Amino acid sequence: MISPRTLRNLRSELRRSALAKLGVTLVVGIFLMAVFAPVLAPHDPTDQNLNDSQLPPLGFSTTENRTTSEFVDGEVTIVEEEVTVNATAEHPLGTDSLGRDVLSRTIYGARTSLLVGVIGALLAVLVGVTYGLVAGYYSGRVDDGLMRAADVMLAFPSLVLAIALIGLWGRAAIRIPDPFVAAGITPGMPPDIVLPGTVVLVVALVNWGWFARVARGEALSLRSQEYVTAARSMGAGDAFIIRTHVFPNSVTPILVLATIQVAAIILLESALSFLGFSGATLSWGFDIAQGRQYLSSSWWIATMPGIAIVLAVVGINLVGDWLRDALDPGIEQGEGGV
Amino acid sequence: MSLGRFLIKRTVHGVFVVWGVVTVVFGLRFLTPGSPVNAVAPLDASQELRQRIARDLGLNKPLYEQYFDYLFSLLQGDMGYSYLRGIEASTLVLGRVPATVELAVAASFIAVVLSIPLGVIAANRRHEPADYGATLFSLVGISTPNFWLGIMLILVLSVQFGLFPTSGRPLGLYPALALLVTEGAPGGLLRWLHHIFLPAVTLGTYFTALITRLTRSGMLDELGKSYVRAARAKGLPEALVRYRHALRNTLVPIVTVVGLQLGTLIGGAVITEAVFSWPGLGSFLIRSINVRDWPLIQGSLVVIGVSFVLVNIVVDALYAYLDPQVVTE
Amino acid sequence: MPDDEALDRRSFVKLAGGAAASAALAGCGGDGEDTPEGDGGDTATDGDGGDTATDAIDETDTVEETATDRPEPEDREGYLQRANLLLHERAPWVFLNRQFSVYGQNSDLDWDARRDELIAAADIGPGDDGSVTITQGQMDSGLDPHDHRETPTDNIVTQAHDGVLNRNASGEVIEGLATEYERLEEGLVEFTLRDGVTFHNGDDLAASDVAFSVNRIVDPEVGDLESPQSDQLAGVTGAEATEDLTVEVSSDGINPIVFQEFASYCDVVQEDWITEREASEINTDMNGTGPFRVTEYESDVRVEYEAFEDYWDGEPEVTELTMNAASEASTRVSRLLADESDIVVNVPPEEVQRVQDDDTTEVEAVPSTRVIFNAMRYDAEPFSSQQFRQAMNYAIDLDSIIENVLAGFAAPTGQPTLEGFVGYNPDVGPYDHDPDTAEQLVEESGHAGADITLETPVGRYLKDLEIAQAVAEYIDDLENVSCSVEQREFESLVGELTTGNIEDKPPFYLIGWGNTTFDATQTIIPLLTTGGALTSYEEDEDVDSAIEQAQSLPGGE
Repeated sequence: MISPRTLRNLRSELRRSALAKLGVTLVVGIFLMAVFAPVLAPHDPTDQNLNDSQLPPLGFSTTENRTTSEFVDGEVTIVEEEVTVNATAEHPLGTDSLGRDVLSRTIYGARTSLLVGVIGALLAVLVGVTYGLVAGYYSGRVDDGLMRAADVMLAFPSLVLAIALIGLWGRAAIRIPDPFVAAGITPGMPPDIVLPGTVVLVVALVNWGWFARVARGEALSLRSQEYVTAARSMGAGDAFIIRTHVFPNSVTPILVLATIQVAAIILLESALSFLGFSGATLSWGFDIAQGRQYLSSSWWIATMPGIAIVLAVVGINLVGDWLRDALDPGIEQGEGGV
Repeated sequence: MSLGRFLIKRTVHGVFVVWGVVTVVFGLRFLTPGSPVNAVAPLDASQELRQRIARDLGLNKPLYEQYFDYLFSLLQGDMGYSYLRGIEASTLVLGRVPATVELAVAASFIAVVLSIPLGVIAANRRHEPADYGATLFSLVGISTPNFWLGIMLILVLSVQFGLFPTSGRPLGLYPALALLVTEGAPGGLLRWLHHIFLPAVTLGTYFTALITRLTRSGMLDELGKSYVRAARAKGLPEALVRYRHALRNTLVPIVTVVGLQLGTLIGGAVITEAVFSWPGLGSFLIRSINVRDWPLIQGSLVVIGVSFVLVNIVVDALYAYLDPQVVTE
Repeated sequence: MPDDEALDRRSFVKLAGGAAASAALAGCGGDGEDTPEGDGGDTATDGDGGDTATDAIDETDTVEETATDRPEPEDREGYLQRANLLLHERAPWVFLNRQFSVYGQNSDLDWDARRDELIAAADIGPGDDGSVTITQGQMDSGLDPHDHRETPTDNIVTQAHDGVLNRNASGEVIEGLATEYERLEEGLVEFTLRDGVTFHNGDDLAASDVAFSVNRIVDPEVGDLESPQSDQLAGVTGAEATEDLTVEVSSDGINPIVFQEFASYCDVVQEDWITEREASEINTDMNGTGPFRVTEYESDVRVEYEAFEDYWDGEPEVTELTMNAASEASTRVSRLLADESDIVVNVPPEEVQRVQDDDTTEVEAVPSTRVIFNAMRYDAEPFSSQQFRQAMNYAIDLDSIIENVLAGFAAPTGQPTLEGFVGYNPDVGPYDHDPDTAEQLVEESGHAGADITLETPVGRYLKDLEIAQAVAEYIDDLENVSCSVEQREFESLVGELTTGNIEDKPPFYLIGWGNTTFDATQTIIPLLTTGGALTSYEEDEDVDSAIEQAQSLPGGE
């Protein structure tokens, strides 16, 4: 599977390429941010303070007109007033429409994105690789039937299918206790990590086809290799051959594809959150969707989480490039964007 | 195998996929909790009224009967009637197609026009600032969620500088062109361009970035190959070597990858339409899902699935034309 | 609010319209004047309140102390006010905000927004040229005036149709196609129609057309339509043309709000025109008696109209009318600012400033007929406890939510019925923000440590999700309750609300309710009484009997 030679290749490619270094740095950074969110975030990201809503980031204090209304005797009167909004060091990136800290929300958002990205990709690998290996190993009729079914799945644009499924099935969320809060290290932070369960299932469901294709291709080319035919003539069972011979040899391309797919799934998750189809209320996409309404008055609410997504996805894509260049699995780029 | 037989095989395959799509779409409805009656009945309707509505919508027939009814009417181009509007679903769904096609074509146009020169320049000037610029652009381009890009473009270009409208499609391309032809008035066309510019850039950025990336690496690959060295040794002009041979060979795999990415284009169109209130199939689908208007949901999904399959067949044909080896494989 | 009571009452009487309403006021006047605003917690501090489900008898006893302190009401109005007071105390909802309708309009226009969310283009004084464009959030769901239930479609079809009665901008019932309307006997009313009214196709209006229109709504056998509006004419059983211009409408029981219903609903169509056409034709063209005639209909894009020169109330000043739609609020505002539109609906708080900052446009706001609330199912723990329900009301800072989330464009509520409606109780104000009392009430309720989930639709009502998040956070801030928000698909949430089984409903959910009859019963009966179509609160004999009494008495006619 991962031989010493592979490791050497990875190391030398990392030394050679500045972009690979940048990618690894970004991914490690985001990963640490997600894991240690309760420690790093200055505030509880869900803590609202309506009187401090829409505070600008440091350096953007302003004075502006604000229109409001008064309801007296059943009649509405429009009132205009001049207000000064001052940025505070307490909220270096400002606050959102409910007075929640944008910096803390951006840090916490990494958790949702990474969890969905990694778990979703793992599920897709599990389903897709099994499916593809079986199809490719048996080839012929079995292969035809299975791959046509996979083609039907791939005939749907993943975002469209995901929207349809979530819109129709609802948005179940799974709560996982936050270990830092449970251990009493960061009291006062949200006690649970909310994982949008339907989204994880759906992103796996719309993406497994890619893994099936790659695994099938590998299995097809491996099934006629000498050592496989030899094993078969010695009476080894199909499941055994697939497990011990075919699968290990297809690990490299699947690893590279999985990396790229994590990036794709993060983008997909944020798009779903943005469209209101996720269910997570603490994610980058959700914050962009909420902040979008306030573009003309509070640009920072939508801007900060967007920058975070771009950095995370750039990082993962760079790591994907690094793996591909170092391992040379010979696959084309999988689906990668929204 | 001849090209003709190859295409027939692909078409038969396509028909199979379309049938699968229709079946999956139909099945979705029965995997969905909640009755479609809720979409139609008022909030406080009586149970009696609900049952009558269910009967009106044909929901009381056995499942297989509903399925075959649906399949046969679909073959005749009939998608049923919108639950909420009482109008033919096909009219509504197909009415949204032009806006999406305009957007997709405009985005692809931007992508092709920008990306191939950009990729070639980057490859020609490897390790120069132009190369780093193009690489950085393509990296960020494939990593930026396009809804956020759209929002940022609106924030800067529309809200701050007022250069473009924030959203909407006041008129279609066809009426705009008709206006130009019949009355010689370019105003409509300009207005159309003004409105489609930001959505098209938003949707096109990912593809521009992707194709730039592929062109660059493809060109570098080809330029390192022996036939290029041989051609140079023969004294062929460098431009001819680069553009006639290397670029042409680079384009072949790009066509496949772009074909594979069509799903992304359609998905991207859905979200771009949502950001810019572009009245295409994507925003229509989202709204139909929100109100559970099943004939419209099914109709739009079928149209999307079918067009995806169709375009894939075209891409296959193009690929077969560019690289005849494919046909024999 | 207590200081403004005199004024409140005047406008209130005006809206209720008529002698019965004044009598209602007299009936309950004097009492409760000294009830401290926002208190309403008498029952709770008595330490009982009890579980409505398990403890109905105790509950009734408790109520005796508050409701029977006051003299028995003498009329419909009085009973409705009693019901509202009871409902304030028993807190079946977390009372939230009354929505405002906020419009952006071209400053040249002479136009007053109506409270029922309808835009009557005939009442608009256009600027220089006679053409007006109105941009809503979405287009019609087909043009059949009897086959829809949403405001955008209403706004599009009512331009071409008239009702039997009508309302003015402040919601009072006025004449429409009928010039006279009277109650003949308990379940029978008579309308006398105007002479010389013509449809857009040139035919004269006949009483049979009016009868057909009513029957098409209430009777599924008539006009080949299962009208979703049948309950808008609740109680009405049928109509019959008795003379050329006289129609009799019969109802089940006394139906006290029959004239209110006909002032808001039932567009009059021409019998022949409808019966000769297929449904798809009726959904793409209109033939009414209204002030505007359709000239072009592009489904989902726009409807264009011209002034109807033979309109019975005189040709409208607006000569050309266009209705179009943009789902994004920022798009609507941009269209207004670019002078592409003259009136845009639903300007959200964060866009108001852009409209006001422009010299040529301004914001127009009126209180709407829609109330936003969090229903708490009376039979589900911990909401079965009245104290717990009251605690939820004390927990939230409603004023702050309105000021910060809605930028002041909403009014706080403390009872199901809105100010200006028949049955509104002017002595009942919103709950105070008092977390200490809330925590104490939770303690007393025996549900300390409760973990509750507020289910909310997203994007259905103005700032629904943000309001829900704010409410949940206030509740979560209590020491002894934790609360989180769950986003729901509107249709599936509605699916659970409409099964007719209270057990299918979520225990705690945010929803909005519009009531354009301006009468308390159309809110309380479906939502808060035993057997109500959408009820989350049953088996409260006091509320049920107050409403029953009210419904047995004629309204202000």
